[in-house]
Amino acid sequence: MGDKVSPIAALSPASRAWGEIGERSEHPRWGMVVDQERCIGCWSCAVICKSENDLPLGMWWNRILTEGDALDQPAQARGEALEMHWLPLACQHCENAPCVKVCPVQATYHRDDGLVMQDNDRCIGCRYCMIACPYGVRNFNWGAPVRPTPYETGMVAARPVGTVEKCTLCVHRLAEDQVPSCVWSCPTGARVFGDLNDPEGRVATLIRDREGFALLEEVGTKPAVHYLPPRRRNPL
Amino acid sequence: MDIDRRTLLKGAAGAAAAVGAGAVLPVLDPPPARAGRDYDVPASLPVDRVVRTTCSPNCTGSCGQLAFVRDGVIVKIQQAADYPDLAYRPRGCMKGLSYVNHVYGADRIRTPLIRTGERGSGEFREATWDEVLDRIAGDLTRIGETWGWDTIHVFGQVPGSGYIQKGANYRAAATLGLSHGTSFDFNGDLPMGMPITFGVQNAEHEAKDWANSRFLLLIGSNPVETRIPDVHFLFDAIEQGARLVVVDPSFSPTAAKADAHLRIRPGTDAALALALCRQVIADGSWDAEFMRTYTDAPLLVRGDSGVRLREADLVAGGAADRFVAWDEVAGAPLVVGTERLGFPAGSRPALEGTRRIALADGSAVDAAPGFASVREELDRWTPEAAEAVTGVAADLIVRVARAYAAAKPAAILMGGGSNHWYHGDLTGRALALLAALTGNIGKSGGGFSVYVGQYKVRVNTAPWWNAGETKAKVVPSIYFVRGRTDTMHPDVPYPENGWHGLVCTFANLFVQAMDVNRLHETLAGLDLIVVVDHQMTETAKWADVVLPATTWYEKTDLTATPLHPFLQLQQPAIEPVGESRSELWMWREIVRRIDPAKAAAFFEMDEVAAIEAILAAGAEPGGPTEGITLEQLRGGPVRLNVPDPDVPFRRQVEELVPFPPRSLPVPLEKTAAFIPTGRIEFYKEEARFRELGETVPTYRPPFDDTVHPPADWPLALLTPHSKWRIHSTYANNPWLAEIHGGRPEVFIAPPDAAARGIATGDPIRVWNTRGEVVAWAHVSESEQPGSVTLHEGWWPRQFRRGKGVNELTSSAVNPIHEVHFVGNMWAPSTGWKDCRCQVAKAEEA
Amino acid sequence: MSATTMPAAPAAAPVPGRRALALWIGLLLILIAAGVAAFAYQFATGLVVTGMRNTVMWGNYILFFMFFVGLSAGGLIVASAGRLFGVKAFKPITRLAVLEATIAVVLAATFILPDLGRPERLLNIFLFFNPTSPMIWDITIVIVYMGLSAFYVWLYARADLARRGSWLALGTGTSERTLAREERLKSAMAWVALPAAILLHSITAWIFGLQISRGFWYSSIMAPMFITSALVSGMGLVILLALVLRRLGRLRFEDDLVAMLGGLLGTFIAVEAFLVFAEYLTASYPGAPEGAAVARMLVGPYAPLFWFEVGVGLGLPFVVLAIHRLRRDPRAVAAASGVAILGIFVHRLNLVLNGLSYANIQLPPGLPVGVDQGAGTSFATSYWYVPTAVEWLIVAGILAFGALLFTIAVRVLPMQEPEAH
Ligand SMILES: Nc1nc2c(c(=O)[nH]1)N[C@H]1C(S)=C(S)[C@@H](COP(=O)(O)OP(=O)(O)OC[C@H]3O[C@@H](n4cnc5c(=O)[nH]c(N)nc54)[C@H](O)[C@@H]3O)O[C@H]1N2
Ligand SMILES: Nc1nc2c(c(=O)[nH]1)N[C@H]1C(S)=C(S)[C@@H](COP(=O)(O)OP(=O)(O)OC[C@H]3O[C@@H](n4cnc5c(=O)[nH]c(N)nc54)[C@H](O)[C@@H]3O)O[C@H]1N2
Ligand code: SF4
Ligand code: SF4
Ligand code: SF4
Ligand code: SF4
Ligand code: SF4
Ligand SMILES: [Mo]
Repeated sequence: MGDKVSPIAALSPASRAWGEIGERSEHPRWGMVVDQERCIGCWSCAVICKSENDLPLGMWWNRILTEGDALDQPAQARGEALEMHWLPLACQHCENAPCVKVCPVQATYHRDDGLVMQDNDRCIGCRYCMIACPYGVRNFNWGAPVRPTPYETGMVAARPVGTVEKCTLCVHRLAEDQVPSCVWSCPTGARVFGDLNDPEGRVATLIRDREGFALLEEVGTKPAVHYLPPRRRNPL
Repeated sequence: MDIDRRTLLKGAAGAAAAVGAGAVLPVLDPPPARAGRDYDVPASLPVDRVVRTTCSPNCTGSCGQLAFVRDGVIVKIQQAADYPDLAYRPRGCMKGLSYVNHVYGADRIRTPLIRTGERGSGEFREATWDEVLDRIAGDLTRIGETWGWDTIHVFGQVPGSGYIQKGANYRAAATLGLSHGTSFDFNGDLPMGMPITFGVQNAEHEAKDWANSRFLLLIGSNPVETRIPDVHFLFDAIEQGARLVVVDPSFSPTAAKADAHLRIRPGTDAALALALCRQVIADGSWDAEFMRTYTDAPLLVRGDSGVRLREADLVAGGAADRFVAWDEVAGAPLVVGTERLGFPAGSRPALEGTRRIALADGSAVDAAPGFASVREELDRWTPEAAEAVTGVAADLIVRVARAYAAAKPAAILMGGGSNHWYHGDLTGRALALLAALTGNIGKSGGGFSVYVGQYKVRVNTAPWWNAGETKAKVVPSIYFVRGRTDTMHPDVPYPENGWHGLVCTFANLFVQAMDVNRLHETLAGLDLIVVVDHQMTETAKWADVVLPATTWYEKTDLTATPLHPFLQLQQPAIEPVGESRSELWMWREIVRRIDPAKAAAFFEMDEVAAIEAILAAGAEPGGPTEGITLEQLRGGPVRLNVPDPDVPFRRQVEELVPFPPRSLPVPLEKTAAFIPTGRIEFYKEEARFRELGETVPTYRPPFDDTVHPPADWPLALLTPHSKWRIHSTYANNPWLAEIHGGRPEVFIAPPDAAARGIATGDPIRVWNTRGEVVAWAHVSESEQPGSVTLHEGWWPRQFRRGKGVNELTSSAVNPIHEVHFVGNMWAPSTGWKDCRCQVAKAEEA
Repeated sequence: MSATTMPAAPAAAPVPGRRALALWIGLLLILIAAGVAAFAYQFATGLVVTGMRNTVMWGNYILFFMFFVGLSAGGLIVASAGRLFGVKAFKPITRLAVLEATIAVVLAATFILPDLGRPERLLNIFLFFNPTSPMIWDITIVIVYMGLSAFYVWLYARADLARRGSWLALGTGTSERTLAREERLKSAMAWVALPAAILLHSITAWIFGLQISRGFWYSSIMAPMFITSALVSGMGLVILLALVLRRLGRLRFEDDLVAMLGGLLGTFIAVEAFLVFAEYLTASYPGAPEGAAVARMLVGPYAPLFWFEVGVGLGLPFVVLAIHRLRRDPRAVAAASGVAILGIFVHRLNLVLNGLSYANIQLPPGLPVGVDQGAGTSFATSYWYVPTAVEWLIVAGILAFGALLFTIAVRVLPMQEPEAH
């Protein structure tokens, strides 16, 4: 079907520059910071993830939780001021990953750079990893994929039915020095990608300076994804 | 809900135990890392090509997009993030990313269709292009020859998002003598306060400039949902220490980001603005010099007539367009010209006090500076008086006024929520006054900007939109919906024989137009309804003939937007889907069939030629497209030849050039007539302003209160724009529906819900004297008691019953909007939010 | 209290006719065929045909797996404990208990298959064995245990088979020496089987109990609770089967035994109830988040199931078995055993449902359900799991398979332990 090119090589220099990962240490541990102050709950990161990775209807590797009563609705006030924030949630690429521990066949495993990967050719579809994951970010291929388009989309191959899948940290893009698609596509710059092992890098600096935290720290999963809390308001 | 975000797990347990076990028992350590399997793939799947184009629904974004094409189909859409100005990276939203589902989705129209059933039944048969084009040409000719060509209304929505394809509508209307509708005023987006005060269509700071502000006062604007590509500039400002204050009846997602949220009663923003103005003056923190120099504040107004004193009044043979101030230094009248702002050195025009002025005819008249009238009005608006109207606490009003006045520069951002009112012009005028009083006009990081609609024409479109010297006749489309009004401006070229045909393109008119049931009365009288779209919308369902349009991934166009001054191309990424064609092609074929000579004269031009003509027409030194080439555009966005940052009125303020700057595409004289003083006008002397008591910014209760008295219609119906759609576009997007649930929800405050026995999820009726819909209730604290919110843009088929929310909205025309007439610039602006209703639980079907 | 001793056994047990047997086996075969067909359909279509989704990703199959592991462990514990601790009275039912344990574990293993998304890749378990996975150990122990219990069954039946000259004796004889060695072997086997059974069910418990992600399960009491519930259900089933076989004339024992087993069952139930109480008290007392899960269990949508477990599953049989007179009535004991088994089943159901029905992070809109929902959100913070017909057919097929095995086994294998010994 004609000569094909890598979608990244085909970018214009200006676009390509936007996605460059840039500096890193010798042995990077890839991680992400999500700024809850900048996050507007727009789901661009979730939608592009769906598109990038050809996720069928019903499946989301990435989603945005509302810290409120319902989608985009503030928490019921108890006499105090209303509040609402968003919490984007995808695989946390845990260093101490429960999903890796429980998988009977090592179909989910760690890479050297800390990424938690999924081998869909090996997975037996027992869904134990879904039980084990405290964040609920794993999806099972329950049946044949249903897409709004009549053909496969995205930049990676679709996963077989009967296996589990989840965020890959866009590993196929990392190889070409490009940030994950959700980072690229966040319209507010709420997502920063980088090397956690680089103490002077942007990610580590932000975590330090902005009191970054990890989700469910108490369960000891040691996520690679960190969050920056919403700022304190500056009342009149 | 008190959640500690670090402890979200409902069943958390001791961390130490888990970590400890892993360390103590080596067997529990995870297996060693491996590489080289499955997803450790070196690269993405390859593609044929990546095409840079521009997303352009009726949205102000116009975000650059990349279409990734594999085997001839789009497999991913991603923002281009290639703006030469790094501040505009990133730029996009989730909707643009999901457009692939509309290019190929279930509602895509793939062939021309001819109606077989009743209108609205949705029964069509597929037809060939030849058949439909012959049919349309024949019908148009018959209507044209029987009733007049101007009885055919072309509605083509905002042209800025497609100068070429939408421009083809104008060109065709000009060629054939059809009436072309309006969009900016029709959409209710035209902030009438702008032409009234500044003599411009609208003038907003480019979004990048928000970041330069120290204080952001957002009124009726919800950028977190409706300006997704630009909202990061607010955060940039906040990170630099700016404060964000949001005035909104609802706890909007923007309010969630604010330092202070002022929960205002709907439709009362003008009262708040007036109180802020009064407070700034009371605190002595206003800028009298600014008012003197740039506004009509010192110009004397005659006590007898309410009209301004002119040179001609003072001296025989004096000019009628030179005005008079009172020079406190000389103790004498001072004639003020319109060539230049400011006053002669050494003079000091008075801003208050009534003086007796001798006139040329020997008589004398009492006259006072216009500003005296303004102050007289402001004096009524004590914080307490404003609290009584707006519901915003008096002390909060005082604090906002002080913080706003103390911050330099401070920006006011007004949105649809405040503008979409019958009296939205008064709100705009009052807010403009606030910005002027604090000297924030024409300054980076300051200003009074109204962010509504994708309207602005930023290039010289004349060579393409006009057929030679002939321009399209422009008739405000609200007169198409509701017929003419008694107060309609005589210059409106309303067709003598009324309406007989409609070509609706780039619009989902029968869903998005106001007072839809009334619109259907007009439709019933039409001989032909043609709808051009690529989605099988409700509007298309009512058509006689449906023409399949290409999407912005299948054709060539040129776009620019008000918020970020970049010129961008749309370039086809794929072959047209099905039989779809571009609008330019359709018009060429229609005109050819009606009048081959005219087609030869005006339509044998392709998109590229049209773009080149437009570029050339604006290429003069200082022109908007100076130095911009097609080649450059093919490579990506190019900044228009505008100052950086693009701050309106900067020249006026810095160089004392009189107001207004030009509003393209009309000639300057047309809009300059709105402000004969050449200054920012807070005093309007035209007869209708005087008759209606609106010479100075004031407050009027919502208009629909007179149609639906609040005692009987206790709820205000607010219909703001949804984050999940651009109006009705994307409402049928399967990815987005997975998130938001895909059915219209009416947000209602707990007490209002309780009083009606309504719970979340209940089907409810929402009705007034104009119509009734049935949707689902969502009880939420975000809503203020006394109002309900039903976002616009849901498709009728998504309701449980009804034609959609616009069955309820009003088509009332404010006669102030008819004082002058320039289409899209001074014309009736719709009051979508000016609407009352009642709500009750619906009986189970 | 009446001291009347019940007659030893129904004088002439109605031996089922060939016709009834044929009907019975025919019915089982039909059910098995239906189950196989349903499995084939599920295999071809994917687990989308089940009621499970991302939110509740384990359902009926795992539930029955757990349940049958419990039945099996319970049976074997009863048998081997009897032997180990020299409870002679258990003797008449030892073979039955061992057989029950064996068939139950075979069924448990079978229930794993339809639960897998890729059953054809089952062998990966051995190829890519992950030692940190509780599941891998569970599967290992299931396999080991299956062999063990099968051998155990054979060991008990061997002598009789040899006497009958059956090939199933595998050429072993009945000499004094062999018999003596066999007795020693049986004792030794009991020493192996008891811990194996306990391990079997403990590891199954740890599949759940080690998951810090599931606060509702994450508890050290999980294994003890699984063991007691295994004892309850295993003992209950042994009692029921024994009574059935006695009716069918394939087993002889005194009513005293029934009363004794009933008494034991009552004790197990009491311990189980105590553990359940202790667990939920501990979970809810601090008012910590996992208390919410308990609260939901007590009053939420699944509350009727919980109260069924407590009232019908634990309370009712305990009361019946605590009353001396009723304990001596085999029908009462049978009924109590039946509801106790049901109670344990519902207990497991509650464990799975309440552990999974609510997303860990209870923020809207929740987690993606995993399949196209048509119009409407694809997210949920909670999910109401209802097994589909396909799941029930597969379950029925596997149960029928078990019944068939049992039917054949009791016909082929001598069930009666010789009185003299
Ligand atoms: N996602 C998305 N973005 C869009 C559009 C879209 O449809 N969807 N449409 C585009 C277009 S064409 C336009 S015109 C703009 C409009 O976008 P905006 O200017 O943001 O206008 P609205 O969404 O109508 O209303 C904004 C807010 O005003 C509040 N409001 C309602 N009534 C009042 C009132 O009386 N006073 C005050 N102070 N606030 C009030 C509403 O609660 C709402 O939160 O958005 C543009 N951007
Ligand atoms: N109640 C209420 N009503 C409102 C408002 C409100 O606040 N409240 N807001 C108003 C405002 S501000 C606005 S701007 C209007 C917007 O009103 P519209 O612009 O009519 O609304 P859209 O849903 O954007 O409709 C655009 C249509 O153009 C089609 N389209 C897209 N691309 C192309 C193309 O290339 N060619 C052709 N031929 N068609 C194309 C789309 O499929 C879609 O059907 O709605 C107004 N209506
Ligand atoms: S977030 Fe879940 S899936 Fe991802 S590594 Fe952690 S446990 Fe595994
Ligand atoms: S579903 Fe697949 S990845 Fe998950 S635990 Fe089972 S085999 Fe491993
Ligand atoms: S990193 Fe890639 S796979 Fe992961 S959430 Fe972001 S877009 Fe999805
Ligand atoms: S794209 Fe960015 S702003 Fe939008 S939801 Fe994701 S993280 Fe938040
Ligand atoms: S829908 Fe509007 S904001 Fe979203 S990408 Fe398109 S132009 Fe940009
Ligand atoms: Mo608009």
